Amino acid sequence: MARAGLTRPWTDRRAERTLGAVASIVLILIATMVVFVLAKAWPSFAHNGLRWFGGGGNVDDQLKAIFNSPADPNKYIYTLHAWPLLYGTALTTFLAVGAGLVFATLAAIFIVEFAPPRARAVLEPVVRLLAAVPSVIYGLIGILVLVKFVGEHLISEGRKASVIYVIQLSGSSLLVAVVILTVMITPIMIAIIVDALRSVPRGWVEGSAALGANRWRTMWTISVRVARPAIVAAAVLATARALGEAIMLSMVSGSVGFAPNPLDGLTFFFEPTRPLAATIVDNAEGLSVKPFGQTIYAFAAVLLVSSLFLSLGGWAAKQPLKRYAVRT
Amino acid sequence: MHRMRLPAVILISLVVLTVGVPAASAKVATITMSGSTSVAPLAAKLAKGYLKIKKNKGKVRFKLAQGGSDVGVADVAAGRVTIGNSSRDAKPSDPGGLVFNPIAKDAICLITNPSNNLGNLTLQQVQDIFSGKTVSWSDVPGASASGPISLVVRTAASGTQDAFQKIFMGSAKVASSAAQKASNGLVQQAVKGDRNAIGYVSLDFVGGVNAVSYRGVACNLRNAKSGEYGGVRNFWMVTRGAAVGAAAKFIKWIQTAAAAQRIVATDWVPLR
Repeated sequence: MARAGLTRPWTDRRAERTLGAVASIVLILIATMVVFVLAKAWPSFAHNGLRWFGGGGNVDDQLKAIFNSPADPNKYIYTLHAWPLLYGTALTTFLAVGAGLVFATLAAIFIVEFAPPRARAVLEPVVRLLAAVPSVIYGLIGILVLVKFVGEHLISEGRKASVIYVIQLSGSSLLVAVVILTVMITPIMIAIIVDALRSVPRGWVEGSAALGANRWRTMWTISVRVARPAIVAAAVLATARALGEAIMLSMVSGSVGFAPNPLDGLTFFFEPTRPLAATIVDNAEGLSVKPFGQTIYAFAAVLLVSSLFLSLGGWAAKQPLKRYAVRT
Repeated sequence: MHRMRLPAVILISLVVLTVGVPAASAKVATITMSGSTSVAPLAAKLAKGYLKIKKNKGKVRFKLAQGGSDVGVADVAAGRVTIGNSSRDAKPSDPGGLVFNPIAKDAICLITNPSNNLGNLTLQQVQDIFSGKTVSWSDVPGASASGPISLVVRTAASGTQDAFQKIFMGSAKVASSAAQKASNGLVQQAVKGDRNAIGYVSLDFVGGVNAVSYRGVACNLRNAKSGEYGGVRNFWMVTRGAAVGAAAKFIKWIQTAAAAQRIVATDWVPLR
């Protein structure tokens, strides 16, 4: 009986209602999740106010104090100044997306315009395959190979000793985190930008060539210009992945709630940090302690709200660029 | 009547997914466990051994999940499992009404990179190193490494961290510059990969690293069993109120039966 119902030809009215129901379920789920996370996180924000986002004290000591709160709900400890974690998140994300964007744009131009057909036939599927590698594999390579190499060969003992009373340098560092994160997010960006460059109308490219511009100039002044909204979209998607990346960063970024200091010169890149998502993974064991769980939910809420603003920001950034873009 | 069928089908499937499959028939008692990753291998072995006894065959079933001591304690307090496994002692912030049943003991070893064959540490040395007072290996007698010390410790929610603090550090504070890892394996890996590192792990995880003697006693199973080694902690099976029924029998068996003690003694320290 159900089969008869499903195989009957679908009227538009029926399709509309069915799809509408599915879409509403998804929307309701997302809305419920946002409300749930915010409600769980509220005590942590309420107790700290705006200072939650500020610095001061050691964030790991604060987390430990929250975890060891007394049993009496009136005496729960909530004091937290999460700046090092927020800063670590922003630092790893923006450095990786910045570097990745340059690589991805150049690689996409190569694949679309300059690569010999044979190289293209290999490059494209490989790039798309790379985009799907689980992050834990990158984390393993990072911890087994890169962290060890950086710790043994790139950081001298003098450098380690110079900051020993502030932070220890062991190879797990901002540098390794950013390098692996860049490798992780670049393939997605390449795939999106390649598609965009391909969709540039042939006539525009040929027109430019007819005027005497060479392929590089045409690519740079016509195709890339036209593809800018797609490049923004690629950056937004990559930023979202970088923001939410937890396992890999928890493995290689150093596991200390420390804010790397740019004034330290080259040492800055060797200093450890721990982004929000990695902090959630590292501390998920303690969720049962109520104030600690609420603090973890507060981290999640910040990530959730930032990704919301990220989508809005991406949309806003695309609007002026659309004037020259391909209309689809 | 046919119009709204598909949405209805989706809704029903969602409801079924959330409600879950009803429990198995009542004749077979099911003991569910969750919690500490350190206790899990022992719990699995014990469950297997328990099922080998003839009178238990077909009478009892086990389901074992992992997730950390605090997960186990939270699960059992909420009634989601019969037994919560914990590698840390009871805390004042734990929910009321829980009973911590001891099942075994485990040693915590101090480990260094294999290239640094540090022989022995005293309590004072451990505290100085982990609190950040001693920052260079050249200040530690017996160490073959030189240069700054890298500390590798566990996150706040770890049972091993809790035990290390109580047994070794007392009221001293672990340096906040120390790298905090989320599991025994990650600490082991970090120490393996860094010539200047020192960390602490459960006795199970000393492969490929140098286990340092503590107060002149080597960290191994024999010394932990004999009670000579100082860094020993408890493994617990936590129940909500005193254990009843199948769970009570199981825990009683672990604590008293000679066969159970033999299973514990393969890699851990029996209670007696």
